[in-house]
Amino acid sequence: MKELVDQISARLKEQKIQVPDAEIESRLKKLIEEFRVPESEARRSVLNYFFKEHGVMPQVRASAEKAVISAIKEPGKWVDLQVKVLDLWEPATEAISQTGLVGDGTGSMKFVKWTKAGLPNLELGKSYLLKNVVTDEFQGRFSVKLNRTSQIELLETEVEAKPASLAAQPLKIVEIAEPGRWVDLTVKVTQLWEANSDAISQSGLIGDDTGTIKFVKWVKAELPNLEEGKSYRLKNLVTDEFQGRFSVKLNRTSQIEPLDVDIEVGSQSVEFTGALVDVQKGSGLIKRCPICKRSLAKGVCSDHGKVEGTYDLRIKAVIDDGRRVQDVLINRETTERLVGLTLDAAKQMAMEALDHEVVRSMIEGKLVGRYFSVTGPRVDRYILVESINEAPPVTVSQINELMSTVEV
Amino acid sequence: MAGFSREVARRIFTEELKSSNYSFRDGEDQHQYAPQYLLTPTGAKCNRVFMVGILTEKDDIGGDTEYWRGRVVDPTGSILIYAGQYQPEAAQILANMEAPAYVAVVGKPNLYQTEDGNIIISLRAEAIQRVDEETRNQWIIDTARRTLERLQVLSSTSPATISDDFATADKVSAAATPAQDAQRAREHYQTDIDHYRQMVIRALTSLEGDLAEGRSKAKDAPATPTAKPESGIGESRIESEAGIEEPPAAEKVTPAAKRPRSKKIESLDAWPEQDSDEEVETFHIGKKS
Repeated sequence: MKELVDQISARLKEQKIQVPDAEIESRLKKLIEEFRVPESEARRSVLNYFFKEHGVMPQVRASAEKAVISAIKEPGKWVDLQVKVLDLWEPATEAISQTGLVGDGTGSMKFVKWTKAGLPNLELGKSYLLKNVVTDEFQGRFSVKLNRTSQIELLETEVEAKPASLAAQPLKIVEIAEPGRWVDLTVKVTQLWEANSDAISQSGLIGDDTGTIKFVKWVKAELPNLEEGKSYRLKNLVTDEFQGRFSVKLNRTSQIEPLDVDIEVGSQSVEFTGALVDVQKGSGLIKRCPICKRSLAKGVCSDHGKVEGTYDLRIKAVIDDGRRVQDVLINRETTERLVGLTLDAAKQMAMEALDHEVVRSMIEGKLVGRYFSVTGPRVDRYILVESINEAPPVTVSQINELMSTVEV
Repeated sequence: MAGFSREVARRIFTEELKSSNYSFRDGEDQHQYAPQYLLTPTGAKCNRVFMVGILTEKDDIGGDTEYWRGRVVDPTGSILIYAGQYQPEAAQILANMEAPAYVAVVGKPNLYQTEDGNIIISLRAEAIQRVDEETRNQWIIDTARRTLERLQVLSSTSPATISDDFATADKVSAAATPAQDAQRAREHYQTDIDHYRQMVIRALTSLEGDLAEGRSKAKDAPATPTAKPESGIGESRIESEAGIEEPPAAEKVTPAAKRPRSKKIESLDAWPEQDSDEEVETFHIGKKS
C-alpha cells in the first residue's frame, strides 16, 4: 500500500500536484479493501481523480512521440503522425465521425475519429499532422484513434504516402485464410450474380488455378465493371469472412487491370482424412429446381417459387479428424457407388416408406462413424468429393511407428 | 472470429475422459446458450467427442418414455452413453442393437456430480452407429495420435501455477489456443504426463496384440465380436488394477491440488466398484429378456 501511495504521489508531483499521502491512501484503501478493485485499476482510478481535480488531462502527461506508421507495434501508445488521407469509409456507428485509411512513407493504417473528439473533418488526399493520437489493435492489426485530446494540423507539404496497394500481397486464392488482409489476385471472373443491394455494383465468383472465391465490388469504389469470362489483375482487395467462408471486396483503393492472357480456373484438389461424424439434413433423396438446380425446400425454390422438381441423390456430410471439421458434398454418381444404391432404388425405397428420410437413414447407417479419405476441389467451405475411400486397415508397423515416437 | 462453426469431435480415451472434472462455458458473456466445454487432463477442450468401442451392455432405464443407456469399452476403460427422446435417431439405433457390438458414438460429454461429490462423466449420444473391428482399430490409433499430440503441447507448458490476476484469466477463456488449454489443464489437474503416455502405450499394445492374434480369426468368423468383448472386459479389469496401483502417483500431486481434485481421486477409485455392480445388475436383466 505504501509503495502504491509513493508511486501515485511521485506521478502527481511530476505534474506539480501536491496531495497529502493520507488522502491518496484513503482513496486507495476504499477501492482496494472495500470494493476489491485490482491494484492496478485502483492506482489508475486514484491518479485520474487527482489529475481531474487539478485540471490536468491525464492523457497529456504521456507525451506523444513522433512516429511513423510502420513503427506502430503496440496498442495504447500516444503518437504524433504526419500522414496523408488515403481513403475515407462510411462510419459504422454514430460514435465515429470519420474512419478510413491514412498513410505515410512507411505504410498505411486505419484511423478512427470519434464524434466526441469534436475535431474538424479530414479531407481525402490532404496531408495532416495528427497530434496526440492513440494506437489500438484488433486481431493483430493496428489502428489509430483520434479523441478529444488529439489535434489536427493541415500540412502545406504533401506527405509522400506509399499507396496502400504496396501493403497488399500477391496471393493465390487458396492461400486466403484470414479476414482483413490486403491482397492482389490474378483471376478470371467465372460467374456474375445479380447484385442484391444498392451498395454493391457487382458480385460473383472469381477463380485462379487454386480455387474460386466470392467477390464484392462496392458502388462507392467507382471501378469499371468486370466481365464474365475475362481475366484481370485485381490489386489491393481486402479479404473478408462470414461464417467461415472467405470473400474479397473491391473498394475505392482497389485497382482493376484487364489481362490479355486467359487465367485457368482450377481447383486444386485437396485431401482430407477423418471420421465421418454427421450426414446432414438435405442428404439422400432430394428434389432440385429444374431451372437453377438448387435443392427445393418443401417443393419450393428460393428463387423460382413452387416448381416441379427433379429427383437427385447426394450427401452432405461432415468429416472430422479430431482437429478440424470438413464439410463435404458427394454427388449422385459417387453416392450411388459409395452406398450401393441407385437413384431409382432410392425412389423406390422412399415410395414404399412414404418418407424420403429413409434414404438418409440408410446412408447414415453405412457411413457414420467410419474413417474415410476424400479428395476433390475445395469450394467455399465444402470439398466437392471426387473420390472417397474407406481408410486402409491399421497395420502393426503403423502402431510400432507411433509407439517409437513416444518419449518415455 | 468465425461465425457459427461446428465443434470438432475430440478423440479421448475413456480413462482420460473419466478423469476429467473441469467444465466451463466459453464466450465473453457466459450466458446459458454459450457452448459448454470439458477440459480433460491432457488439455483437450471438448464440446463433442467421437469414440469407437465395444458396446457391452444396454438398458432402457426410462420410465414412460424410452431412455437408453449403454456401456462402451475401449482399451483403457469404459464409459456410459445415453440416448433418450431428444436423440431419437441415436436412441432408436441403440434400442435395436445387440450387445456386444462395435459401435461408433458421436456425443457431448456430460458432467454429473453425485451427492457425495463424485464426478461422473458420460456421453449424451448425438449419433450411434454399428461399425466393425477395422473402424475400432482406426479409432485407437487415431486417438493415440491425438493424445500424444496433446501431451507434446502439455510438456512444453510449465507445471508451475501462473499468477492468476484478472487480466490473464480473462484472456485464457476468451481465445484459448491449444497451448493455453494445455496450460490451464496442467494447472487444474497437475497432469502426470508420463501416466497418460503409459495409457497410450497400453492402448497401442493391446491393439497390436489384437492385430497379431485376431487377424486370422477376424477374417473367417463373425465369432470375433463375441471374443472381443471379453478382451474388452479384461482390459477394463486391467484399468481397475491400474487404479489400485494409481494412488502413490496420485497422492504425489494431491497436496498441490485444489479440493475438487481430491474428490476426483475418490471418484476414480470408486469407479471400478460401481462398474462391477452395474455389470452384474444388467447381466441379470439381459438374462430375463
